[in-house]
Amino acid sequence: MHGPRPPAIDQDEPRIAARRRWLPAAVIVTLLALALILPQLTTNQFYVHLANLMLLNSIFAISLGLIASVGQISLGHAAFVAAGAYISALAALSFKLPPLLGIVLAGLVTGLAAVALGKILLRLRGVYFVLVTFLAGQVFTLVALNWESVTHGANGLLGIPAISIFGFPLSTRLRFYYFALAAFILVITFVWALMRSQYGRAFRSIAENIRLAESSGIDVSHYQIVAFALGSGIAGAAGAATVHYIRFLSPDSFTFNDSIAYITMLVVGGRHTLIGGVLGAAFLTPLPELLRGFVGAQHIIYGAILLGVLLFIPNGLVSIGSSLWRKSSGTEEPK
Amino acid sequence: MDYSILLAQAVLNGLVIGAMYMLMAVGFTLVFGIMRVVNFAHGEFYMLGAFTGFFTYVYWEIPFVVCLIIAASTVGILGMLVERTLIQPFRADEMSGMIATLAISVIIQNGAVLLWGPVPRAMPDIVTGTLAIGPFNFPWSRLVVIAAAALIFACFWLFMQRTRLGRAMRAVAQDTETALIQGIRVNYIYPLAFGMSVALAALAGALMGPVFSVSPFVGATPMLKAFVVVILGGLGSVPGAVVGGLMLGMIESFTATAFGSLVSDILQLLLVILILLVRPAGLLGQREA
Repeated sequence: MHGPRPPAIDQDEPRIAARRRWLPAAVIVTLLALALILPQLTTNQFYVHLANLMLLNSIFAISLGLIASVGQISLGHAAFVAAGAYISALAALSFKLPPLLGIVLAGLVTGLAAVALGKILLRLRGVYFVLVTFLAGQVFTLVALNWESVTHGANGLLGIPAISIFGFPLSTRLRFYYFALAAFILVITFVWALMRSQYGRAFRSIAENIRLAESSGIDVSHYQIVAFALGSGIAGAAGAATVHYIRFLSPDSFTFNDSIAYITMLVVGGRHTLIGGVLGAAFLTPLPELLRGFVGAQHIIYGAILLGVLLFIPNGLVSIGSSLWRKSSGTEEPK
Repeated sequence: MDYSILLAQAVLNGLVIGAMYMLMAVGFTLVFGIMRVVNFAHGEFYMLGAFTGFFTYVYWEIPFVVCLIIAASTVGILGMLVERTLIQPFRADEMSGMIATLAISVIIQNGAVLLWGPVPRAMPDIVTGTLAIGPFNFPWSRLVVIAAAALIFACFWLFMQRTRLGRAMRAVAQDTETALIQGIRVNYIYPLAFGMSVALAALAGALMGPVFSVSPFVGATPMLKAFVVVILGGLGSVPGAVVGGLMLGMIESFTATAFGSLVSDILQLLLVILILLVRPAGLLGQREA
């Protein structure tokens, strides 16, 4: 009656399209509701603490993912986290700067520092960039250890104040949880919007084929610096937030091992997507606690998981989810 | 204070650590040149070599030369297995290969902590006494390290220059595809080169066991220095690794004598970052395509 149009497409298309529209929204609303309510249901402070660390680690992994999205892997990410932490902690201790302003200041300073550093370091690509960021991270740790008049060396900084919002101190784990959740949502929304903008498209084209991007008129070094600065700035601000939660800071707080941990989260979760870092952080943060029974073997299992994911799920945990999603909706996911 | 004695001390110390850095860096750069893999686990093989040397020498009480051979062969075979099973799958992907070596490093180091505990163990000197030349006294234990490292490197160099296998390795390093066309079995060359590379690290570890102590964490510093040396000399360049290693040993020894070891470390790292930025291919390296 309706002519020769293929009926399969005619019937399925609107249904799938509608499903595409409401399903992600429903998932996000449900997750958000769970995230708001769940911590109220537990009396175990330790779970709340883990949730806080998960949120913070997610931010670190997402910010590293932002740098990775222009095809550069930084092995010195923890140095920016530590720099942000030191800036805010020292400003609070020496100048009584409110932590909330300290976090903003830390983000700005680390971001600007990354612009300056990026102009020099980002001239190196691939393995050379990895090596130079690794070395820069080592220099930072050594300087923090050595510059005792400011950082108090290995003794660290004690008595760092908690964040307070209009005189309301976020001194309990549960209060900080809602702050961290808000920060997490802010960061993920920002990066999501960025990746959908012209910037995101430029980033992806650079990661995919740097020479082609360059010859298509994309200013590669400009976009790489933007990604490096934003990623480092977010890391610095999140490092500052972390230090006002943990309230202690030493050169050992954020080291090369943390840089590796962020990369692990990103790789395990899936380094090509925004959700990947979050999944990786959500999976790996509580893992040491679950492995508490295997004292000493924790790190070995950690390393084994990283190797296993690299070998068998090269696109990370997120690729399992997306292949399931493709199966259920019966279509190829748009890139 | 007699400056000439201080100076001689600094030169000797520089040569000892320089020799160790050289052995580390040569292996590290070999693997990068041939396989394009940055091996973050290189230091852990040094540590395994140090432990093998320690156990065989202290418990079995056999001649140290035999200990060295045991350390090099066991760690070398382990390295071949690691390459075959864990690194070869990432041949096409530099980044994943590098992250894999990070994971391997974490596993080996913590495995060592689990097996042997975190407490450093002191290893007795292989030889005692000193060599007196005029007013200077050089301990034999240090001189032996330098001589052994030079001998090991000479063997390695002869192998690379004079044997079929060595030539095949150099061919793969220059151009893998052309080497394949010439009938070189790249699949055999890769594990062999990796095994040889980590065997050199193990030899360095065993040699340095009596100089420093032996613990699961001893690999970190030599690996960091191998990075530095390799960047100084150019990633993939063996002569660069030799010159860079000895140079870094000297720089380190003199700056540590003058300013203390922490400042010396910072200075070295800054120097290397500077070189990376000005001459990314290293002092003796050739520009990559």
